[in-house]
Amino acid sequence: MTTNMFIAGKGWLYTLDSRAKLIGLLLFCIQVFLPMRQIGVWFLVLLSIAVAIRSVGWAQAFSPLRMVFPVLLVMLMFVPFTYRDGDSMFIIGSLTIATRESILQFSKFASRFIAITYLCILFFWTTTMATILATLRWFGLPYRQSLVITLAFRFVPFIAEAFKMISDSHAMRESTYGQKVHKRNRIKDIMPTVTAALVFSLKSIPNLAMSLEHRGFGRSNVRTTFRSLETNRSLFTHCALSVIICVLFWILFHS
Amino acid sequence: MMQESSISINNVSFSYEGYEHIPLFSNLHLEVPKGSHMLLLAPPDSGKSTLARLLCALVPKYQAGTFSGSLIVGGKDVTESEPWELTDICSLVCQDPQEQLLMTTCKDEIAFPLESLKVDKPTMERRVKESLKSWNLHHVGEANPQELSGGERKRLLLAVTEAIAAPVLILDEPFDDLDAYWRGELINRIQTSNSTVLVMASRYINEFHGTFDRYGLLLDRHIEVESEEDIVMRFETMCDAAFAPSKIEHLATHAHKICCEHVVALHPRKSMGELKPFTLHCDKFHLESEEIVALVGPNGSGKSTFSRALCGLDEVQSGTFSYDDAQVERKHLQRIVGYVFQNPDFELFLPTVKDELMWSIKNDLRKSKDEKESLVATCATMFGLNLNATVATMGYGMRKHLQAAIHYMLNRPFYILDELDSGITYAAAFEMVTLLKSRGAGILLITHDRSFAANLAERTYTMSKGTLIAEAFE
Repeated sequence: MTTNMFIAGKGWLYTLDSRAKLIGLLLFCIQVFLPMRQIGVWFLVLLSIAVAIRSVGWAQAFSPLRMVFPVLLVMLMFVPFTYRDGDSMFIIGSLTIATRESILQFSKFASRFIAITYLCILFFWTTTMATILATLRWFGLPYRQSLVITLAFRFVPFIAEAFKMISDSHAMRESTYGQKVHKRNRIKDIMPTVTAALVFSLKSIPNLAMSLEHRGFGRSNVRTTFRSLETNRSLFTHCALSVIICVLFWILFHS
Repeated sequence: MMQESSISINNVSFSYEGYEHIPLFSNLHLEVPKGSHMLLLAPPDSGKSTLARLLCALVPKYQAGTFSGSLIVGGKDVTESEPWELTDICSLVCQDPQEQLLMTTCKDEIAFPLESLKVDKPTMERRVKESLKSWNLHHVGEANPQELSGGERKRLLLAVTEAIAAPVLILDEPFDDLDAYWRGELINRIQTSNSTVLVMASRYINEFHGTFDRYGLLLDRHIEVESEEDIVMRFETMCDAAFAPSKIEHLATHAHKICCEHVVALHPRKSMGELKPFTLHCDKFHLESEEIVALVGPNGSGKSTFSRALCGLDEVQSGTFSYDDAQVERKHLQRIVGYVFQNPDFELFLPTVKDELMWSIKNDLRKSKDEKESLVATCATMFGLNLNATVATMGYGMRKHLQAAIHYMLNRPFYILDELDSGITYAAAFEMVTLLKSRGAGILLITHDRSFAANLAERTYTMSKGTLIAEAFE
């Protein structure tokens, strides 16, 4: 009922301590909302993509872009009509489609959105969920809360996988060989597919709860731990490295 | 002297909320002595899974219903217990492994209940290692359970059970998904187990003979315990009567042929980062109209990878597929080969049986609405379905029937039936295959049950470590 986003790969991000990675992730996410030069955020996007290519390969590295594309499209449609100040850049007849200000705003929103998406996904791609759970507990979060947080991150990709399976199954029920399928029908078929995925997910929730309780979740005794993180000298080095990279980035690109 | 009971069911009645008029059990009685190994046979949709959940205090807590009676498991009153209080007393393996998998690595899956039971770390590490090795899963210890095959997932759940070592084991259709070797292993382990084992099954497979010391039949809301011979005879007579082969009209059709050559497909396990991902090799394969061909092989050998490639769901690295000697693209394969998924939940998505069946022919512009409705009604009768039944409340067995009916309506030239026989009786599976074949379809039957395959199939392919080999039945 749950799945992992972890992809086994190679690169320095896999060897970096998960606690250092979490600190770096939070610092970068905060930074992109502070006054920074646009070029800095786009540089962060490019850097994240480069690290993704190095870590999980070309084919996988660009999948987050495909995922965020619909949101970017919506931004592109609405931002130019929200920000009307500045010089006109695209005009059709007497209607200004986009101004300089709106393009800058779109660039700002898009770069932040892509950067945060990549940073988070890189964290999940290169850290196993068991390690994330251990990391949250190391930072003092109680077991129950840590489990709930990680379960959310496991359950959502599981629903996505179920959606893929259901879509595959529906694709198999299209018209017979030789018959044409209208695009209009395909769009109409999306709703039942989404409904099926939702029903499947809703049905999974009691199963998840049942399984948790059947496996002893809820007992009053203190749980023991199968995986725990060690605290040693390399942890300090990794955390320091993480903070230094973020500070350097800030010095270079803050406005 | 009276033997001490490990499972004691007394006067149990239960009905699901909203279905009070159709009680699932009424005045149910069963005593399973400590250390006994019992087989409880029951037709599909008779309440096996509900009974298993009742015994683990999961129902009516999570599936509301009206309950009365007394349930004692391992000396504990289940009706006054929370599920977590029974973790070290009673272990359950569900029919669908997907319902129970919680964690994102196999090791963590096994460790989770041990953490709950406050097992110390060295003991936990030892038990995790031993149970993984015992079920031959040590090489996938760090893999995501979602990337395992159906049989491997079932073994993982059995490994969890072994690590907990509870005195009572409830196994709901545990032999489904397991290949011949692991079925034999499970039988051996049940026979040598010191725990009380209650196995629930909807069909009697050859391996069961002489394995258990008690045999029961769950029928018409009651459980009857008799000798193995009596129980098996009654059960099989009942199944045959329920699905007496109907006089199936054979429809004349065009002869078709589907082939594939030199197919290579990859199936990587992302969480493992294997240097060499699982690779499927199929040198030659063909299937013709009205033919039933079996595909057998051990768990994780690549049967599903091959099936997904054959019906165009997954891309292949190289190789060609042809239909009636003309090469076809992947997307076209989806409309030539129907794939009856192992899990019915992935196929059923509309409110009623009628909606589901109508959906299959919605794009057929040559038929009028009345003709379509008439076809749907006929099909429902053939597969024993009630047109107005709500799909979400149907049992596993009936959902399997509906799956087959949907594909019958689709009228594809070829079908892949992925473990159609799991969770239903032999007679029902036989009937469904015969009905699908009656319209001239060629059928690739994936099963772990060699005797079922031998009774139906004319030829067989064996999948072994990713290589498809053609063989003939002896």
